[in-house]
Amino acid sequence: MGTSKKVITREEWEKRLSDVKIRKEDMNKLVMNFLVTEGYVEAAEKFRMESGTEPDIDLATITDRMAVKKAVQCGNVEDAIEKVNDLNPEILDTNPQLFFHLQQQRLIELIRNGKIEEALEFAQEELAPRGEENQSFLEELERTVSLLAFEDVSNCPVGELLDISQRLKTASEVNAAILTSQSHEKDPKLPSLLKMLVWAQNQLDEKVTYPRINDLSNATLEDPVHLQSHQQNSIQKERQWAVRLCYGPHQTNLLQPLAHLSLLSNFTQM
Amino acid sequence: MPSATVNKHRPSELLSRLASADPEVKVRALRELKNQIIGNRTKKLSFLKLGAVPSVACILADSIDEVTENNNCDNSNTNNILVQSAAALGSFACGFDAGVQAVLDAGAFPSLLRLLANPNEKVVDAGARALRMIYQSKLAPKYDFLQQKNMEFLISLLSCEKENVSGLGASIITHSCATNLEQKALFDAGILRKLDSLLEGGSLSQRDASLESLATIFRNNPEVISKFAGPEIGRPFSSIIDLAKDRHPRTRLLACMCLIVIRNASPHFLQDIGIKTKIIHILLELLDDPGQVGDEAPFAFSILIAQKEDIQKLALEANAIDKLHHHLQKGSLHPRRFEGILLALADMCSKLESCRSRFLSLQVLNLVADALTDYNSGVRTAACVCLKSVTRSIKNLSAGYFMNEIIVIPLVQLFLDPSSSVQVAALGAVSNIVVDFTTRKSVFVQCGGMNQLVQLAKSMESSVRSNALWALKNFVFQADNRLKEGVFSELTASLLSNLICDPEPSVQEQALALVRNLVDGCINLIEFVFAEGGLILEAIGRQLQCSSKAEIGIQGMYALCNVASGNEFHKEAVIQQLFTQMDDKNQSFVIKFLQSNDSQLRIATVWTIVNLTCPSSHGAPGRLEKLHNAGITSQLKNMVNDPCVDVKLRVRTVLGQSMAFGDN
Repeated sequence: MGTSKKVITREEWEKRLSDVKIRKEDMNKLVMNFLVTEGYVEAAEKFRMESGTEPDIDLATITDRMAVKKAVQCGNVEDAIEKVNDLNPEILDTNPQLFFHLQQQRLIELIRNGKIEEALEFAQEELAPRGEENQSFLEELERTVSLLAFEDVSNCPVGELLDISQRLKTASEVNAAILTSQSHEKDPKLPSLLKMLVWAQNQLDEKVTYPRINDLSNATLEDPVHLQSHQQNSIQKERQWAVRLCYGPHQTNLLQPLAHLSLLSNFTQM
Repeated sequence: MPSATVNKHRPSELLSRLASADPEVKVRALRELKNQIIGNRTKKLSFLKLGAVPSVACILADSIDEVTENNNCDNSNTNNILVQSAAALGSFACGFDAGVQAVLDAGAFPSLLRLLANPNEKVVDAGARALRMIYQSKLAPKYDFLQQKNMEFLISLLSCEKENVSGLGASIITHSCATNLEQKALFDAGILRKLDSLLEGGSLSQRDASLESLATIFRNNPEVISKFAGPEIGRPFSSIIDLAKDRHPRTRLLACMCLIVIRNASPHFLQDIGIKTKIIHILLELLDDPGQVGDEAPFAFSILIAQKEDIQKLALEANAIDKLHHHLQKGSLHPRRFEGILLALADMCSKLESCRSRFLSLQVLNLVADALTDYNSGVRTAACVCLKSVTRSIKNLSAGYFMNEIIVIPLVQLFLDPSSSVQVAALGAVSNIVVDFTTRKSVFVQCGGMNQLVQLAKSMESSVRSNALWALKNFVFQADNRLKEGVFSELTASLLSNLICDPEPSVQEQALALVRNLVDGCINLIEFVFAEGGLILEAIGRQLQCSSKAEIGIQGMYALCNVASGNEFHKEAVIQQLFTQMDDKNQSFVIKFLQSNDSQLRIATVWTIVNLTCPSSHGAPGRLEKLHNAGITSQLKNMVNDPCVDVKLRVRTVLGQSMAFGDN
């Protein structure tokens, strides 16, 4: 048997939970932050009206940003570049990797639309200099240009470049760069909080057994006793039998789990 | 065959549309130009050559005049022209010095300044941004902080809420503030309080810009630092210290750099071990950042630890060498990062043997040796500097640890490097390695190292000459006769005497020191100075007479001292040198040296006299008389209680020796 861990029941837990104070304003801010970072402009507007929460950036800039993201997702890269430059000319001027990826996407779109000659000229005039200016782009460049060598592009080794996921990757990169330039976090805060919750539970598992949240989407507390019954087999059945013997099926007050616990610990000393 | 769409974008065609009278065509052309050059250095260069910048600057100036004439009207076409032309100029200037120069030459700077007073927000923003790009370059015009008007303008910039405008104010300070006077003027005008408030309440970019400006104002100015800290109770610089733990890596780096500036300038602040250790840890952890922040972190680390043994010790305990090594092992490093890590290791090993031991035990040496052949000259230089530090380890030097092919051969190859700073750095490392106490310098000689050193002693660059001589000096230190003869025959007496009289004092000093080491040890070697009619001996005498630098006197006197340790002929030759070179006051330089403040110089001179007057040589009385007549004996009598013990003892030796010959 492993070391006996302290157990906290659901009631205990829920009792303690009710003592913790979370401010409504903080929760609203979290929601607003999520909507704004992900770019849900209309939802953010509505939420602002209904909750009175102020977004931390100008909602107008979200519209601009979403327009850029959408343009890339639709394959209108030239349009996206123009929009980014209108928004903030520094972004592409100081982000060689992003600029290269956008140019790369332009090339991919030209190839996808069968404009082979234009693609060749574009690769030579626009992308080759990027490779010369920065050696780390050469490999990527070669991969992209190799698309031109294949008859059946959808089945070639670099075919994934033509996939919609490539567009989404580039769109995401642009989105993050715009957010950073606006001194805004490029990731929303909500996922970080959830990750912290999972981590904290893993830490506590080593010391205590307590009601866990296993399903983040509905955040229900799972009974710690049920968990234990999953982990242990025949020994558990014996204990349950012992409990029933001593206390009968009608005990519902706090005494039961405490007694249960002491009984458990007696058994573990055998 | 070029397609139709590409034709539309031909540069010359675009530029002709810029000149159109139709404002809508003009705006479209400006926007196209802007979109073509942003992010594209190649296009910037080609448009530059076609004269795009003066055209755009002209358009900007004309539109501004139009705005003024129409009483600051808010016409949307005009505003678009202003915004797009400012953005285009800003892009030309962004990270591109040739572009900055072109923008300045085209006279666009005053126009951009005027944009800051425009009623339209977007126009102001575009102007501020363009100016900020210019101020990131060394070519930006110097800002005169001492003029009242300029200071007021700066304050107004910093007080503006808009990021680009306040950022411009901070950029101007970071770029232009250089002297203590300017730093004080900025302090007196209350600029530091403004910057401090941006640290607490500003946005991310405002905080970063303020940190850079604060560091610029604090640099080497303890007075401003203590005034800023003030008599407040609690932690001064608390806001900066807090930012050193900020979530953003760039902020952490800039905050650390600011703290390092404060620490280095001021003996009172940030001296406790806690804060020093904290900064060390933060900088080492920043190495993990894959971007520019990680590239710059090792340079900040170097500034923190350079010349400071106590901090190097703390850093060693924090496993700095292991961590730097770990990053070196990653391979395919950005050249800047590679250079920074090598220099950081060099600083770590510059003084402490414990650091060098750790370095060598981790086998970092192989990685550094590889860096000697890197394609980037900064990396090659840094690798040499690192080796110079590590080869200060006497324990390993005397074990012949460094005299091997992996290190010596690439180093000698660097003697032919196109960059003189690489040459000088390689010479520095070699200077240490050739101090090989086992006198087994075969690897170095075999790969032609010695010949190369002699060649470098003839270089056009004075720093290369002096460092080559330094290496030769170390090479012949207590070396065997055959080796010394080899060096001398390669050098020749005429070259060496020319170098003794080189225009550069540092070269003179090393040449004299080389002679000192050459003639030391065996009486036959003294003949070197008499070769080709005594060229070298003459040169030494001449140089000692006319030089005013103590270092040159010291080396020259020791050279003469070694010659005077020989036979009668040698001693007579030396004494002749002491007296034929007399100045107009008929005073020998010997008196001047004996009266010098530098104890090293005094002792070297006294030793020479000891050798000249030693009782066993039969010419001693004659020489003593000459010394006496020149007033040297009485000078020596004044020195019997010289503050320097060595001088005192040797003076008494001479006087004792002279008494042996009676009262002459």
